[in-house]
Amino acid sequence: MTIPAQPSPAADLAAYRRLIARLPVTLRPELNARLAQWPTLFPFEQDQFAAFLRGIQSTPSSQLDALTRPLWDLETRMGVARWDFSQSESTVENASLLARSPYYPEWRQQVDRFFQAMEHNAQPSTASQPGPAQSRLVLLLLPEHLPVDPAELDQRWRSTGRAFRIDGDPQSLRRLALQGQPGTPSLASVLHPAEDTSQLWLIDAEDALARDAAPALAASASSLSFTGLAAFRRQFLAGINTIPRNISATDQVIAQLRRQDWSPWYPAALAGQPRLQQFVLNLWLSGNGALIFPNAFVEWTASEALRRARPRMLVARFGMQTRPKPFTSIAIFEDQQKISALPSVDDPESSALDAVMLSHYIWLAALRYPQGDNTFCLCIAEHPRTAWLVAPPNRWPAWAPGQSIAPQQLYQWLAAQLAS
Amino acid sequence: METTRRNILKAAAALLVEGVVAARHPAFAQQSPPRAGRKVILVTCGGIRREESFSATGVRHIPHLYQDLLPQGVFYPLIRNNGVTSHFNTISSILTGHWQHLDDWGKTPPASPTLFEYLRKDRNLSQDQAWLISSNKALTNRIGASSVRDYGQPYGANVVFPKQLLIDAVVRAAQQGRAVRSADRASVLPELEAMLETQNYEGLGWSVSGETSALNPAAQNAVQQAIHDLVSATSVPATGDEFTWLVSAEVMRRFAPSLLVITFSDMEVAHFGSYAMHVAGVRTVDRLVHELWTHAQSLPAYRGNTTLFVLPEFGRDMDGSTTNGFFNHRQNAESTRNTWMLALGQAAAKPQIVEQPVEQIDICPTIASIFDLKAPGPAGNAQSGKVLPGLLL
Repeated sequence: MTIPAQPSPAADLAAYRRLIARLPVTLRPELNARLAQWPTLFPFEQDQFAAFLRGIQSTPSSQLDALTRPLWDLETRMGVARWDFSQSESTVENASLLARSPYYPEWRQQVDRFFQAMEHNAQPSTASQPGPAQSRLVLLLLPEHLPVDPAELDQRWRSTGRAFRIDGDPQSLRRLALQGQPGTPSLASVLHPAEDTSQLWLIDAEDALARDAAPALAASASSLSFTGLAAFRRQFLAGINTIPRNISATDQVIAQLRRQDWSPWYPAALAGQPRLQQFVLNLWLSGNGALIFPNAFVEWTASEALRRARPRMLVARFGMQTRPKPFTSIAIFEDQQKISALPSVDDPESSALDAVMLSHYIWLAALRYPQGDNTFCLCIAEHPRTAWLVAPPNRWPAWAPGQSIAPQQLYQWLAAQLAS
Repeated sequence: METTRRNILKAAAALLVEGVVAARHPAFAQQSPPRAGRKVILVTCGGIRREESFSATGVRHIPHLYQDLLPQGVFYPLIRNNGVTSHFNTISSILTGHWQHLDDWGKTPPASPTLFEYLRKDRNLSQDQAWLISSNKALTNRIGASSVRDYGQPYGANVVFPKQLLIDAVVRAAQQGRAVRSADRASVLPELEAMLETQNYEGLGWSVSGETSALNPAAQNAVQQAIHDLVSATSVPATGDEFTWLVSAEVMRRFAPSLLVITFSDMEVAHFGSYAMHVAGVRTVDRLVHELWTHAQSLPAYRGNTTLFVLPEFGRDMDGSTTNGFFNHRQNAESTRNTWMLALGQAAAKPQIVEQPVEQIDICPTIASIFDLKAPGPAGNAQSGKVLPGLLL
């Protein structure tokens, strides 16, 4: 059996399946699930997964046996053969069975050991994906209407970044990044190869980014907003809230939600984008507040985009959240509009605190991957007119920390860095 | 408005407890009280990291614990959760003195006897002397008694989920498509009342009582009236933990149980990604623990003979983790496993900081020693906890 470097779907997927079937049972669900979603994986993920499987295939049998033997032994002691354990997908039941086993901590260690070894053996193809050495940008926007406390920003960013005072309209930097100006291309067009929409992400708690992006740019980006997904969110939340307090029934409901035809509920911007549609579906099912709070949506969407697509440019804009209405704070997993007819009231202070924390989380997510080494991060807090910049080693600007910088000046410096 | 809201919540709590008084049939006529009337209150409070609590950046969220209570107590800065860092497993482990590996959703009871069972069986105590009052949706009534044959439900605790009652009411109203309107609350009340009609004690969180399966009419009327008042008059968010505390206070007044376990969970909103609401939950717990201790000192049944233990169940995952940081508590890392505990009162009369690392399963044998119970032994090959240092037992 040979795993080809350039997959040609049907035959290669069959080879992948046979390879996975040789691995310990508890490793199979996640790998099989990824394989089942192959057509909707992003190009980076497909390359990475194929390289991982080629790595397994090329590992000498003796080494592979030595690596998997402890897992096979553990599975025998855990009684996995007697479990109702799905091999085709990761389920709540699977997780529960594993967690209940007294061997669970040992199992986790062995799984980590296996994946570390296999990732070391992975055989990347010479595919067209941008390499980790290319410059990248994470642009984080905390809009004017969020009363961000500079001390909170300082607490999160001071260990890695440098702060500058923005001398001018801080919103102009967003427009420059997305639209450019006569004689100067937008940052997005500097970084972004238009043929792959997974290389530019515009993620918004509200709808400002889609409004500001040049039409050609918007069409070639992966663009998601909490506001734009409102109808789909509400419908999906209603489905989630039918989950009873029972593990097997939970798995059934999740499987049903996964299979359901959501096309009537996708916003027009997602039409004809099956990868992005599947991404949103996976996002909703993975929780982390993405269905509930706009700023959690921005953070978790960005983290998943960085993990799965490794984009060259990601713009994440936070926004205003509303105060929990009476009683909804005790039933948070409900649609506030449906539970309470009281008018929604903005919660600027909490929204600002969440935006500070979660914007930093996006940068920490970017740093988990090799691409983070060549990524610039610019966090613009419009209310206090502050920019926090993190640059790769030896690529910092000459400006003194705390210095006032005009948006145009900051933009030109960044464009020059990213183009080089 | 704040005073009114609190009064209504208090009234609702009192009426909820009234329901138990009316329905309770003492299981044990003869009782031998624990040693010198000693009492223990154990408070667990979800997942709180050191960063948001006992650290240079975190103490601003816990002014009462840090400034008012810490100087009076025995503080354990290094208590570790070496088990499964989920709610049901952690609380079961604390209560049994053995790391439990159970269904996270509370489908199965603890596999070794709980403190409730040790205490009630050893002292021949009625169920009114052992309570678990919880805000946490992840728990079920199975937390109150183990599956061990010689112990089990006959020796289990009263398990009450006050918050669940409110959630059920709100969710039911929502599922019926009827919004909670401040101007037209009558539209919601039929839903709340229907819930009381169709659900028995389980729905209300009362459990382990065994022989009684429904509220008696008087109690049901009382609960309906309480909910009516609560829905009608509340125009600001009422947190689940606040209601849990009020029910706990009422239970202390009416029953003065020997062993009361309270679990708070407002901070668990972190799972939905609101850091601001998470730290607000931490602040609420800080305030409620202080009120709880003050309340205990005001009650003759508790004053001078009570030991309070307060601890998070675990931390939360560290910033930058692949598990999304503070959102979750499943990372096998120090940020999640290492936490703190504060003991106050009778057994903690010599204030100090015990820097020796200890484990959460040490709490059960320690409380057993306070009650002078036979120490829980090993369960099969499972590791047993050891009595905590630094306390007067």
